[in-house]
Amino acid sequence: MTNAQIEIQLIAALVSIACAIPGTFLVLRKMAMISDAISHAILPGIVLGFFITQDLNSPLLILLAALTGVITVVLVEFIQKTGLVKEDTAIGLVFPALFSIGVILIAKNANDVHLDIDAVLLGELAFAPFDRLLISGADMGPKSLWVIGIILVITLTLLFLFFKEMKLSTFDKGLATTLGFSPILLHYGLMTVSSVTIVGAFDAVGAVLVVALIIAPAATAYLLTDDLRKMLVLSCLFGVFSAISGYWMANILDASIAGSMTTVLGIVFLIAYLFSPKQGVLFGFFRERQQRIEVSLLIFLLHLQNHTEQEERHVNHLREHINWQKVRAKTVLELAAKNNLVQTSNNIVSLTEKGAEFTEEALKYITTNKATAIEELKERFFLFRG
Amino acid sequence: MELMDFFTDYTLRTITLGTAILGAICGMLGSFAVLRKQSLLGDAISHAALPGIAIAFLITGVKDANYILLGALVSGLIGTFWIKGIVKRTRLKSDTALGLILSLFFGFGMLLLTFIQKMPNANQAGLDKYLFGQAATLVEKDVWIMAVVTGVSLLVLLLFWKELKLLLFDEDYTKTLGFNTRFLDILITTFIVLAIVLGLQTVGVVLMSAMLLAPAAAARQWTNSLGVMIILASIFGALSGVFGTAISASQNNLSTGPVIVLVAATFVVISFVFSPGRGLLFREIRFRRNRRELHFKKTLTFMYHIAKNHENVSHPHAIRILNNFQGFTRKTLNKLEEDQFVQITGTDWAMTEKGYLEAESIFNQIGKDND
Repeated sequence: MTNAQIEIQLIAALVSIACAIPGTFLVLRKMAMISDAISHAILPGIVLGFFITQDLNSPLLILLAALTGVITVVLVEFIQKTGLVKEDTAIGLVFPALFSIGVILIAKNANDVHLDIDAVLLGELAFAPFDRLLISGADMGPKSLWVIGIILVITLTLLFLFFKEMKLSTFDKGLATTLGFSPILLHYGLMTVSSVTIVGAFDAVGAVLVVALIIAPAATAYLLTDDLRKMLVLSCLFGVFSAISGYWMANILDASIAGSMTTVLGIVFLIAYLFSPKQGVLFGFFRERQQRIEVSLLIFLLHLQNHTEQEERHVNHLREHINWQKVRAKTVLELAAKNNLVQTSNNIVSLTEKGAEFTEEALKYITTNKATAIEELKERFFLFRG
Repeated sequence: MELMDFFTDYTLRTITLGTAILGAICGMLGSFAVLRKQSLLGDAISHAALPGIAIAFLITGVKDANYILLGALVSGLIGTFWIKGIVKRTRLKSDTALGLILSLFFGFGMLLLTFIQKMPNANQAGLDKYLFGQAATLVEKDVWIMAVVTGVSLLVLLLFWKELKLLLFDEDYTKTLGFNTRFLDILITTFIVLAIVLGLQTVGVVLMSAMLLAPAAAARQWTNSLGVMIILASIFGALSGVFGTAISASQNNLSTGPVIVLVAATFVVISFVFSPGRGLLFREIRFRRNRRELHFKKTLTFMYHIAKNHENVSHPHAIRILNNFQGFTRKTLNKLEEDQFVQITGTDWAMTEKGYLEAESIFNQIGKDND
């Protein structure tokens, strides 16, 4: 690995951590799309800042652009408050207008502005190591590394200082207000941090892909855990993983680094979407199936309890009586036998003592309508689940 | 560019016609997106179409607009239904799902585009016109495609008019009536995706969502009727297209897409401020008028209570005693004198017979309302 390669990966990793932290809160607060709005709307701020400073990495430019981001949020909220359009329409109206102004500003001043419109959308991480910070002639490393490093340090400091306030206001706004924390202050604090991060990351990964770095790691982590701390750590890990492996994938394919980072993020999300143990699609499918079989089992047991006469409990009769298909009847019967709830002799099915007890208790829970209690009951009686 | 060229120049006429038709179909279908609270879906779809464009090119190896549109359509639809799947099957909310699909698909599309650029036989120049759109590349055939799609969607809209209307305003009721809401949902979503895909070439991925939203959001301010809203939105959309093209043609270095979006945004701002029913300006005027009237009535009834205790209702009282009363302002007093409800002499006021009767009727009215 050359020096430049290490530097690129370092920048990519820092950018993804810096994005993942505000992203976690944005996803939990249902404000993910505001990051999309900010990332587009800062364009006029960046162009105006560039007119003034002539340097994409100058702190003044970053502040100006971040200010545009906060103004966007204020504007969106103002339109929402008028009640003239629905909430999401306000977002969809504001950012394309601001983005258009930015594009026109660039196009009209194409000769003066060394800003490529493609770079705005995509960023170019590969060139980042060439723009170096020189302090009295000494090479201090790439400028964007310093920019994103400082932003990350500020974000982390704020995170540690205001962790419990953020946590509280994210999950219970009302309680946070009654306890005396200002949700408005925290809200705009988060918006400012997001804007600054987006501007800082913009240079490296571009307007659209910064949205991926903000939303995707947090969304993936949210599918895997219920704990805010774990979610933060996980989303940072996913971000760093996609940064490093994305870089190498781009290297092999000879394609855009930001594009392949996003693609890795997409794959990671797809895996979590399908296989997450609690939220995943496959798990949902299995859980649904299990529930269905266990409900059938319960109906079957209740039927046995209701009928003492032998002909009602004959294996063949059961099938037509409860009107199950053959396979399902077999599964249910086997499950019941495996759990020692029923016994079969001469093709006559009858409840065991344990089965009778279970049915009795289950009936009680059903009549009182406590769905959680029935889960606990199943835990107690079942050796095997459906 | 002179004004006359606008009508004689063939290319410009094609482009203007194209953007006008595009604006009209976007306004028409955008009305549904706005009313169904799916405003940002347009943004997500337009971004999600990008990998389809790249894959269509990779498979066919030619830059045929038809294949590319087809690819964009397929990948836009996949994105849309994945968003719906995420919202339905996981705990992630719709905003996260939208942002996720938008950015992930776009990133993947960019990966493919940069990959294509590096290919040896790549004749890819022009694929990135889909990012920002180039209205200048519109040819007569494109306009025809747009016109046909507009015609078809108009036909479908008319055919399913009452079902779609019902779906917009009360989905559960539609279901209980036995309509297939799933089919209607897919139908309208597919047409929205189609409109977006058509617009990609003209205004580009990033600004397409505004084309869809802005005319509809503007039209919504002027009417409460769906039919009128759709017609208005189409007109606003078409006008944005025409004006946008005209403005950008009259100057150098002005790309058409952003100008069209800004014209549409201007329509929105004007509608927000000046629409008579919902607009901010008239709302503020109404608000002030109501407040003034309330002050007026409050002061009058307050005076009534004082005057009531005297045999002669026109017995003069000091203005000073009104000062402790909240609704009282010098303006309301002047207005009361103007209407001859009170007479002012020096620092005293006295109620007139007319004022007393008026106040009594207001007071009785309030009493009746309270009962």
